[in-house]
Amino acid sequence: MLANVTRCALARGIQSIRLLPVRAMSITTRNSSENQQKFVTSKIAALQLPQIRNYSAKEPLTLKFIEERITLVLNLYDKIDPEKLKRDSHFMKDLGLDSLDHVEIIMAIEDEFGFEIPDMDAERLYTVKDIVRYIGDKEDIYE
Amino acid sequence: MSSTSSSRALVLSLYKKLLREGSKFPAYNFRMYALRRTKDAFKENKTLTDQNQIKACIEEARENLEMLQRQVIIGNLYRTDKLIIEK
Repeated sequence: MLANVTRCALARGIQSIRLLPVRAMSITTRNSSENQQKFVTSKIAALQLPQIRNYSAKEPLTLKFIEERITLVLNLYDKIDPEKLKRDSHFMKDLGLDSLDHVEIIMAIEDEFGFEIPDMDAERLYTVKDIVRYIGDKEDIYE
Repeated sequence: MSSTSSSRALVLSLYKKLLREGSKFPAYNFRMYALRRTKDAFKENKTLTDQNQIKACIEEARENLEMLQRQVIIGNLYRTDKLIIEK
């Protein structure tokens, strides 16, 4: 009894999967050249592949890599002169930025590392060194 | 003193919220305009010292933030294809 039901459901499932390619084929035969048809059939073949799921984690971070990414983000920010930027140069005192620029920098860092930095914490992050340590703490990297 | 430091934090958080909200626009032109307009307005008024003027500006920013939030929703309802320069 149970086996019958499952077989029935399977058959129905297969039918509904096949419905799509058949309809697509009939459209192509009506109004297109052979090349296009080949293209479409290859597309359909791609559609018929079994569903594959890939699981992956974030790539492992190191403090050095974090620092590289932060310096890249900061160098891309147009108001910072890449030559003046050092590990412990203060954004406001040494680089001449204001608090609005600081907010923009923090937002860029948030986008880069994919988590939000609360305003309370952002107030303390004024050098590359501080940001590296903060992100290291958040991601549990200490070496 | 305490009121200036609290309004400073408020202004900065408003600035961040406005930029975040503005960058959610699906339409390139609206998005760029929102970001540019926010940055320009804050930079223009960053030297204000008069408390009443600051209050008025904060109020304006709040209203504009709400407006942005509504417009982002509407923009998402009527999405179009991305422009060529975005691809």
